[in-house]
Amino acid sequence: MITAVRSHVTSLHVFCAVLIAAIVARPVIVDALSAPVLRTAATVFVAVCVQALPFLVLGVVLSGVIAAFLSPAALRRVLPARPAAAVPVAGAAGLVLPGCECASVPVARRLIGQGVPDAAALTFLLAAPAVNPVVLVATAVAFPGEPGMVGARFLGSLATACVMGWLWQRAGRAEWIGDRVRLRAPTPTGAGRWAVLAETARHDLVSAGGFLVLGALAAAALSVLVPAAWLDALGAQLVLAVLVMALLAVVLALCSEADAFVAASLSTLPLLPRLVFLVVGPAVDVKLIALQAGTFGRAFALRFAPATFVVAMLCAVGAGLLVFGGVR
Amino acid sequence: MRRDTQHMLLVLLGGALIRIAADDTYLRYVRPSHRWWLLAAGAVMVLLAAVALARDLRGRTGPVDHDHDHGRTRSPWLLMLPVLVIALVAPPALGADAVARSGGGGAVVRNTDLYPPLPPGPLELGVGEVVNRAAWDESGSLDGREVTVTGFVVRRGAATVLARMTIACCAADARPYTIRLVGDVGDLEPDTWLRVRGTVQPGSATQANRFTPSLAVLDVQVVAEPTDPYEY
Repeated sequence: MITAVRSHVTSLHVFCAVLIAAIVARPVIVDALSAPVLRTAATVFVAVCVQALPFLVLGVVLSGVIAAFLSPAALRRVLPARPAAAVPVAGAAGLVLPGCECASVPVARRLIGQGVPDAAALTFLLAAPAVNPVVLVATAVAFPGEPGMVGARFLGSLATACVMGWLWQRAGRAEWIGDRVRLRAPTPTGAGRWAVLAETARHDLVSAGGFLVLGALAAAALSVLVPAAWLDALGAQLVLAVLVMALLAVVLALCSEADAFVAASLSTLPLLPRLVFLVVGPAVDVKLIALQAGTFGRAFALRFAPATFVVAMLCAVGAGLLVFGGVR
Repeated sequence: MRRDTQHMLLVLLGGALIRIAADDTYLRYVRPSHRWWLLAAGAVMVLLAAVALARDLRGRTGPVDHDHDHGRTRSPWLLMLPVLVIALVAPPALGADAVARSGGGGAVVRNTDLYPPLPPGPLELGVGEVVNRAAWDESGSLDGREVTVTGFVVRRGAATVLARMTIACCAADARPYTIRLVGDVGDLEPDTWLRVRGTVQPGSATQANRFTPSLAVLDVQVVAEPTDPYEY
C-alpha cells in the first residue's frame, strides 16, 4: 500500500489466482495426496495447525489487551526494577497463562514492546507453556506411578526459563531482537483502546500465523521421516537416549499439554531421557523456532534456540538427578 | 501483502476452522473438547478481519496502525496452506500407515494399577482398554470374557491386526493400540473398519510382541468409520 509505484498486479489478484488455480487443480492435488505417507503427513499438518491456531489467537488477543490497557508505567510498577530480580517474577507469572507455547510468543513480544526488560519477557516466554497448571496436571495424569515426574518437570522448566533470562541479561544484545518488536504505538485512551486491541491482535495474528504454519509443515514432514526404530535399543545407552529424546522433542513439536502422554508411552526408556523430552519440548521445537524467527527476527532465533536447547537439556538432567536421586 | 488481502485470508482461515468444527470433520485431527476453542478462534479471526475492514473503509487507519514491514514479509501467504488443505483435501484420520510408521507396536502406557471390575454380560470395550487390561491387569478381569471391539485393519505380514489410535491433544501425538485377530477373518483391506466379537487369550500381550494381545474371533462385521475415529 505504501509503495510509491502501484503495480497492476496486487496481492489480491495473486490471492484470487491461487484460489482459482487450486479449485481447478483439485483432482490433481487430491490424487497427489493419496499416497499413504503424504496422507499421514497431511493429517498431522492439519492437526498441528488446528490444535495450535486457537492458542495463537488467545495469545494475540492477550497481546492486544497488553498493548491497549497495560501502559509501560503500570508494568514497571508490577515488576522489580532490577532485571535480575524481574526474571524469577516473570518465571512465576508463567504459572497463570494456561496455554500452549504458541500463545506465549505474541505475549512476550508485546511485553518487550511495552518496555519490560528483554530478559524478563524471554523468561516468561519459556516458562508460560511449561509450568502452567494444565501442563502439570496432564503430566501427573500421564505418569500415575511416578509422582516425582511433575516436580522434576516443574523444576527443570522453571530453571531453564530463569537461566535463559539471566544468560540473556549478561550476554544478550538488544540489537539481536528486531527493531519492529520495540515499536510502540502511543498509549491510547477511551474508545481508541479497543481499536488498538483489534489492530494489534490482527497484525500479530497475520504475521505470526504464517510462521506457525511453517512450523506445522516441518513437524508433519519430520513425523513421517524420523524412523520410529530410533527409539528401540536406546534404553541401555543413557547419554545417547538423552540426546535423541532432546532432538525428538525439537522435531516432533508436540503441544506441551500432550507431550507427557507421548513420553509416558515410551516406557522402554529410563525416566531421565523422558524428562529431558518434557523440558526441552515446550522451550524449543521447530514450530517455536519458526514463530520466534518471525516474531523477533532471524538473528534472535539463530542464537536463542540453540542456547535454549543446551540449557534446557542441562537443567532437565540436573532436575532429574535431584528429584529421582540418580538415573532411573 | 495488502491489508485487504490479509483480511480475506483471515476470513477464509477463520471460516475453515468454523467449518470443520461445525460438523464432525475436526474429530479427525483433535479431541472433541477442542470444538469450542475452534469455534471461538474462528469467530475471533473473522471479527478481527471485519473490524479492520470496516475501519479501512472509513479511512480510520492512520499510519500508526499500518505495518511497517510492508513488502518484506511474505509469511502471511503460508496461511493459505491450511485453508487449501482443509477445503480441498480434508485429510482422513490416521490409519494403517500411521500405525506401521510408529514401529507397528501397541502403546505400553500403564494407565492405572487398579482396574474396576467389569459388569457381567456381553462387553463393549475400547481397543486401548482391552490392551491395557490384557497387559497389566493382574486380576485377569478379561479372562474368558467375550468382548466386542471396534477398530481398523492393519496387515502385519500374514497376521491381521485390529488397531485404534489414542490421542491426548491432536493427531500429532497419536499412539496406536493393536489387537491380533486369531481365526478366520477373511482377506481384509487395510483401513477397513471392523466390529469384532471374541475372547482375549490370557497372557498374550507381552513386551516381546509390543503388548498386542490375541483375540480369538467369534464374529466379524465390517462397519463404517465411526464419527470419532480416536480413543482418548
